[in-house]
Amino acid sequence: MTDSFLPPELLRILFAAICAIVVVFGNALVMGYLERKFAGRFQRRPGPMEVGWQGLLQLAVDGVKLVGKQLVIPRQADKVLYRIAPIVSFAPAVLPLLVIPFSPKLQGRDFDIGLIFILAVVAINVLAILIAGWGSNNKYSLLGAMRSVAQNVAYEIPMLLTLLSVILVTNTFSLKGIVAAQEGLWFILVMPVAFLIFFVATVAETNRAPFDLPEAESELTAGFMTEFSGMGFSLFFMAEYTYMFIACSLTVILFLGGWHGPPLPYAEYTSALWFFLKVYFLLIVMIWIRWTFPRVRFDQLLNFCWKYLVPFSLVHLLVTAVVLKI
Amino acid sequence: MSTTPEFREHRYVLNMGPQHPSTHGVLRVILEMEGEYVMDPQPVLGYGHRMHEKMAESRSWPGFLPNAARMDYLASLIYNHGYVGVVERLAGIEATPRAEYIRVITSELNRLQSHLLWLGVLVLDLGAFTPIMYTFEDREKILDILEDVTGSRLTYCYMRVGGVVRDIDDKFIERTREYIKWQRSRMPMYDKLVTGNIIFRKRVEGIGEFTPDLARRYGLTGPVLRGTGVAYDIRRAEPYSVYPDFDFEIPTETGGDCLAAYLVRVREIEQSLRILEQALDRLPEGPFLAKVPKKIKLPAGDATYAVESPRGELVYHLTADGSEVPYRMKIRVPSFSNLSILPEVCRGMLLSDLCACMGSLDLVIPEIDR
Amino acid sequence: MESRDSVIAALQSLPAQVREVDFRQRGYHLEVWLEPERLRPFAELLRGGDFYLSFVSGLHVKPALEVSYQFANHAFACRILARVIVDAEHSLPTISDIFQGADWHERETKDFFGVVFRGHPNLKPLLLAEDMEDLKPLLKKDERLKDRAAVTRAEADVAEKTPAPAGGEEGA
Repeated sequence: MTDSFLPPELLRILFAAICAIVVVFGNALVMGYLERKFAGRFQRRPGPMEVGWQGLLQLAVDGVKLVGKQLVIPRQADKVLYRIAPIVSFAPAVLPLLVIPFSPKLQGRDFDIGLIFILAVVAINVLAILIAGWGSNNKYSLLGAMRSVAQNVAYEIPMLLTLLSVILVTNTFSLKGIVAAQEGLWFILVMPVAFLIFFVATVAETNRAPFDLPEAESELTAGFMTEFSGMGFSLFFMAEYTYMFIACSLTVILFLGGWHGPPLPYAEYTSALWFFLKVYFLLIVMIWIRWTFPRVRFDQLLNFCWKYLVPFSLVHLLVTAVVLKI
Repeated sequence: MSTTPEFREHRYVLNMGPQHPSTHGVLRVILEMEGEYVMDPQPVLGYGHRMHEKMAESRSWPGFLPNAARMDYLASLIYNHGYVGVVERLAGIEATPRAEYIRVITSELNRLQSHLLWLGVLVLDLGAFTPIMYTFEDREKILDILEDVTGSRLTYCYMRVGGVVRDIDDKFIERTREYIKWQRSRMPMYDKLVTGNIIFRKRVEGIGEFTPDLARRYGLTGPVLRGTGVAYDIRRAEPYSVYPDFDFEIPTETGGDCLAAYLVRVREIEQSLRILEQALDRLPEGPFLAKVPKKIKLPAGDATYAVESPRGELVYHLTADGSEVPYRMKIRVPSFSNLSILPEVCRGMLLSDLCACMGSLDLVIPEIDR
Repeated sequence: MESRDSVIAALQSLPAQVREVDFRQRGYHLEVWLEPERLRPFAELLRGGDFYLSFVSGLHVKPALEVSYQFANHAFACRILARVIVDAEHSLPTISDIFQGADWHERETKDFFGVVFRGHPNLKPLLLAEDMEDLKPLLKKDERLKDRAAVTRAEADVAEKTPAPAGGEEGA
């Protein structure tokens, strides 16, 4: 992918897509393992220990189990919607990885509107959850799906508003451009409030505890996933972890300086290490939050968004604009 | 369906249970919903019904003890205590002083483990997974202590008419003292992790309007009643066993909501530890089982024995006809009355609040179904 | 009603046959025998006196089924056991509109003994399955059915507080 050896555009994209899918599966494995291990640590127990050294192969075994399971389709379900829902959730999860700059050279395609592209594609997940909830023909699923729509629509607003602040500073939608603008000074130091709002909104957007209302195990059994088993479930499962990865990648790109870090040899490629370290640090923070807090109630969730996050991000946008003008 | 809700426009019926993560057992609640609001919750009972009261009529007096342990699996020893209490009361048998102390010690340990389980489960119902692991760690210590002396971990059959089946030894006392110290050291952590947690407080504050009058109309007892400001505890109101010997408080709160019930229970943990300490200090020497004839025959007549279970007032009402088997045994279980308030208190609540409310009632379904 | 004595006085004026019994032997303080038609006034009286309903239970004896109600009070120690004999139709008036908690207790008594509580809004099986309405598991077979006297305590310890009011059931 260097200038001297530039494969034809089609091959390049194919290669990037394969890489993206590998990242999706690899991330799901790593995250599944991290989630269990960290949950174990927080709860004073060892977590998975049986399969492989320190339970490293546990997720692989779980994957085999999930693939091997029969796909049960409820008799009353809408069969078409029920079947396409996991795919609709999973497929868009791969696309953003094509535009995320892991390092200056490791990027599938640098879009001028990369940021918009990611937000647009990720928003399809809401549709998938709604399809899953409706197609399952289960009241718990439908309740979960409806919660999910309200929640995702609400939290997209503060997310976009804080994004705008960053765009105002960088003057570009290109993710590479945004990262490049942070050489020397990460935006988290410039706009800590925006970082906080953005991070909270991404936790909500990815339906993670304490905002995991669409799943809300103790209320809705498993929310929109209630009727899914086997591969249907595992696609949702992988999609969730991928969306988390994307959300944290965006946070890193926007606020934590992307690939920037202490210099490394062959930095054009190897600085992806810093990127991944930052992303997984944020992911672990998300895990930490999940295993510490109870779930918020639905009205509290929306109140928090509309009464606190939206006004704060609006004010933040205004202040940013004024400061830049001066 | 045993209840046919009157359908109104925009309403639908949501069937919660008998298998649902937050009904804790085989409770089924038929919810008439309007969006996420519960307009009419109707509990359906009987999925775990075993007719213990009928079984009692074909069992010898001591033969019912294993049954007594299997109604409320979280308060087996307290059910044991109530049962031997009512038989002793009717037969005019007195347990030895040491046995009474051992009964109180084991009952309080049982109450502690029940409260600890409840604490974890309530927070689990609210969506936090971690505290239940911590409370189980504490609870495990109690179960280990009790296992050594009673031989079982959950459905104890430890008490006998006239005393208990095995004496406690120095090791038991030492381990219990260690446990008391351990539990005290853990409480500040729960304070920080749960009580002080803003999300937790927002989820339970103002949920459920329990009032003393509502409690009287429905026969609500236990910590939820004390959360309305009524200091009513059978251990004080109608003292049984050797409870009058101990200095302990009846914690009350005035909120009348789920938070008040929560705070009462957490404070009761400390009170139970205090009772344990005093009982261990004053444990008298002597036999642990009074001399009781092998075949017990009770004189004709009836007697009531009320004890304070972790969930409220547990009453055994026994009628004997002079033979070796009970003529009629009525068991009044606290959760039965406590659950019956659900349709009134939870009307118009959000589904999430219903879960919080049921969690703070601390229901044990096999006890309700008997 | 602030004390046991005032409760006794109020109950006697109902009128009902009230006896104070030895708590250490019986586990309750007052034993009350009621006529079925006095059950509701009795419940209303206790409701006004801030009592709560502990349980409703049945007892199958000859000559007739007996239903007992136990009440207690949060403010002072006063546990009342009221006994009522069902009428010829195996029925009693409901008190579930006075003590809402009685709703389930009465349904349970209907399950186990087949006692019909007149005016109960929803007298469907509670603990038993819907198709077990005729089971009545706690009714005794003839060979095990005893006389009331056979399950009555031989009294020596209790001082009868009042003479039985006219028409009152024989208590002991």
